[in-house]
Amino acid sequence: MKIFKIFFCFLLLVEITSCKKEDALGNVDNITGLGGDLWVKGPIDRWIFDSLTVPYNTAVKYKYDQFELKLNSTLVPMKEEFVIPVLSAIKKVWIETYSAETNANFMKKYGNKFFILVGSGNYDLATGAVNLGTTSEDGTKIVMYQLNYFKTRATPGYVPSDSMVAKEVFKTIEHEFAHVLHRNVLYPFTFTQVSSSLYTSDWTNVSFAEAYAEGFVTNYAMSQADDDFAEMVSFMLTQGKTAFDAFVNGINYTGTTANGTTAVVAKQRLRLKESIIVGYFKQSWNIDFYSLQARTRNAMNALLK
Amino acid sequence: MKRILLYIVVIFSVISSCKKDDSTIFQQSPDERLNEALTKYQAQLSGAQNGWKAVLFPAGGGSYSFYFKFSDSNRVRMFSDFDSTTATTLKESSYRLKAIQQPSLIFDTYSYIHLLSDPNENVVVRSIVNQGAVGVGLVSDYEFYFDSTTTDTIKLVGRFNGSKAVLTRATAQEATAYNSGQLAAGLNINKILTYFKRLTVGSQQFDIQVKPVDHTITFTYLGANGVLQTFTTGYYLILGGITLLNPLTVGTLTITGFNNMQWNATTETITTTVSNTVSTISGIVVPVKVDIGAPKRWWDFAVANGNDYWFSGKGFHVNGVDDAYGLAGLRSGTNTYYYLVYWPSYDPGNDFFGPIFLNAAQTGLTLQYGTGPNTPTYTTDGRAIFTQLYTYGTHPATGPAALTRAKLYNASGYYFVQTGATTYDMVSASDGKAWVTWQW
Repeated sequence: MKIFKIFFCFLLLVEITSCKKEDALGNVDNITGLGGDLWVKGPIDRWIFDSLTVPYNTAVKYKYDQFELKLNSTLVPMKEEFVIPVLSAIKKVWIETYSAETNANFMKKYGNKFFILVGSGNYDLATGAVNLGTTSEDGTKIVMYQLNYFKTRATPGYVPSDSMVAKEVFKTIEHEFAHVLHRNVLYPFTFTQVSSSLYTSDWTNVSFAEAYAEGFVTNYAMSQADDDFAEMVSFMLTQGKTAFDAFVNGINYTGTTANGTTAVVAKQRLRLKESIIVGYFKQSWNIDFYSLQARTRNAMNALLK
Repeated sequence: MKRILLYIVVIFSVISSCKKDDSTIFQQSPDERLNEALTKYQAQLSGAQNGWKAVLFPAGGGSYSFYFKFSDSNRVRMFSDFDSTTATTLKESSYRLKAIQQPSLIFDTYSYIHLLSDPNENVVVRSIVNQGAVGVGLVSDYEFYFDSTTTDTIKLVGRFNGSKAVLTRATAQEATAYNSGQLAAGLNINKILTYFKRLTVGSQQFDIQVKPVDHTITFTYLGANGVLQTFTTGYYLILGGITLLNPLTVGTLTITGFNNMQWNATTETITTTVSNTVSTISGIVVPVKVDIGAPKRWWDFAVANGNDYWFSGKGFHVNGVDDAYGLAGLRSGTNTYYYLVYWPSYDPGNDFFGPIFLNAAQTGLTLQYGTGPNTPTYTTDGRAIFTQLYTYGTHPATGPAALTRAKLYNASGYYFVQTGATTYDMVSASDGKAWVTWQW
């Protein structure tokens, strides 16, 4: 019986040790698509590499990649002839103006790093709304739409009313970059107090006129303080000081809104938010906001007027 | 006994547990096979010296033809039968092959193939690229996975909407023909300006109507028993002509398409080979069979349904031009043109014909002036002839409204074609090159 037991133990040992089934991992270098899509580089790819990737560590996807986008929207890719005009306009209006007000490393460090370009608008069939520029992911990625209709003065047959798409693009970028700034250094708490009782998740049902009457630059600014801040910065930079002043002074209704706001109060709120933002840019980033505003507006005028 | 059972179990588990054979059905790993497939497809696409001719069937309907020439450096040049420009001007864009869920071909920058998918724009920018709905387009695709391939054929399926495409290897002659613009030959049909176009194949006659918007063609002809028949099918352009999606069979004649279409500018006719027979397509005034009752049916319908009016947004189409008289720009004081109406029995004994205007506040419609035709005269050959009895308001003597009025009173009158339950086309009987589409 003893020998039987020994044999039994031996069998158990064999069973335990014999079944190691470690396989080699295989050739991992061969995994398709590892490290991103590859294609033969053309002049556009070289322009992006030299003008944005090398100096600013910024990547641009102008070739269609569905997985960067909403999966249920009908979209079309960009026309190649628009890629460089769009990107060089962005560079002039956004990167170069901030760089001029700060230093060479500022935009390399803080600038949004990943742009996705789409030719058509992004229609939401359920609501009928169109998304023209947006979707930032953690201050890194910005998707821009309707760029097949991007026009500047350089476009043959350009008239000033063709500037709509370009303005949307600049507004989007300034908005998203304002988010980057306040995520690095938060704006003063006093900013949130100016309009604190008016932020609402129901902002889509508020008209622009109603938003103005409450002391906001857009209805989206009513969604939360962060977006109020970003919309204010974007609006002031892309409109310029003269137009912003005219906008504020133009709020002249009689009586009060449903929330009890008068025109005087609405104007005060906008002016207060403006002064907080100007102070924030100076203290947190050492940027002269009005100088940046003039630069941005001049860069836009050079392209669009 | 229990112990023996235990030993048996252990012995069996030793024997069976050590099977180390992990060979798979395939010799290579999935990645190796995927790379191999992509390399194979790449070699096949760019290896075709003369390119590929293709037919794309959008999921939303219709059929469109293309010519693709793929390079080995992610560039593709193409023609398309979308319109006269895309059929004759080669356009270069980008493509890539990618392993997504299946090996896929992606046309990744904008070119002719995207015209079908384009969602159109009506916010900020207004741009109607194709006739599909805003936000959707023609429900087509530009990302495809490889369904099946043979040496000379590649079948693709759209990844987003499931459109189908078939690529066929082109010959050297075909490549030359594409590059010399022969894909546009089928578009010659639109150079014939009459409403009715007559195709004559031997002794058989057809009226054909081509709708470039949804790529359909309708044949109207007299069947063996003398009864009017209609046949509608999709089509796409091929080199030198048109191919029908479904063939038309009449007696012993089977029509699969039109080949060698040649436009003769002097006679304004097309010579074409149909079913191996040299045939002609020419503009005509009188259709194969006139719907003799149509004019009266049209007039009576309005009276019977609340004595209301027929309207047309664009007014007269003349010699190939929509809104030929420029009604869209018509003004009367501060009122703007809204649509053209024909109002049967507007007053006892006469009708009303003229523009209706939108008031300056855009809150209501207003009649400013018009002409009062007699109740139409119906001829035995199916025409309605209009004559003037009365004038409403101060009718302009020149301009769009005056031209439109003069056209109505053409002495030859008009044929009527019922195109739907409440739609009629009113076609000039003098030359067949002018018509109005009436809606209810």
